[in-house]
Amino acid sequence: MAVLSNAIRLQLWRGLMRYWSARQEQVAGITKADLQAAVNAADDWADANAAAYNTALPATFRTNATASQKAVLLAMVILARYDPNLVRAIIGEVN
Amino acid sequence: MATRFVGLPGSAEFPASNFPQITQANQRPVLAYDAATDETAYWTDIADQSLTGTLTLVVTYMMASATSGTVGLQAQIEAVSDGDSTDLDAGTSFDTVNNSASTTVPGTAGFIDQISITLTNKDSIAAGDYYRISVNRDADGSAITDSATGDLSLLAVELRDAA
Repeated sequence: MAVLSNAIRLQLWRGLMRYWSARQEQVAGITKADLQAAVNAADDWADANAAAYNTALPATFRTNATASQKAVLLAMVILARYDPNLVRAIIGEVN
Repeated sequence: MATRFVGLPGSAEFPASNFPQITQANQRPVLAYDAATDETAYWTDIADQSLTGTLTLVVTYMMASATSGTVGLQAQIEAVSDGDSTDLDAGTSFDTVNNSASTTVPGTAGFIDQISITLTNKDSIAAGDYYRISVNRDADGSAITDSATGDLSLLAVELRDAA
């Protein structure tokens, strides 16, 4: 899969600013251009490392799960490390 | 210097599209101006009988999330006198835009700042005129550098004259 289109990257950029604004969460020390560059860099990194992530998955999951399921798995693991409340908001409270 | 009008989020009026959402920040009403799309709000009043001299619009705002960068605001006046041929139900007649300076936002989100815009272009407003003030954020930076992320939360506008 190629990198995201510029239009999608801009949607992410706008959406992230609206998300943090709605939460009144301080986004310290960066400008709109800095955030746009960060979105681009994150997408570039995801694209460059997609194959490595796929290879790192256990063979059974790798061969049976869809690309979307693998992406959700990665997103949830990363969010659980850095923003567990957001994981709860997405998948619910898990005991 | 005298205050001739104070506009709050609750008394704002809006165009058909691209307007700031009225929302709350800690139960305070604010107009949330987007960081990526230019958005506009209006306030309507009758010009004070003592209105005189240079007009200044003072916009009180805070940032929802940003702690650095700059914002740019644009203000316009539409003044209609008795007997004018302006067709209000068919269009608008705002004077040329007045730009603010590109203004550095407070270092803490939620702290207020006030931006003064000299209304050089004021549509020949005179006492008794029916008028509107238009305020928009130049989010796309077409005229003023606007680099701060996230919403600009407008708290109030104040129209001052030279009295």
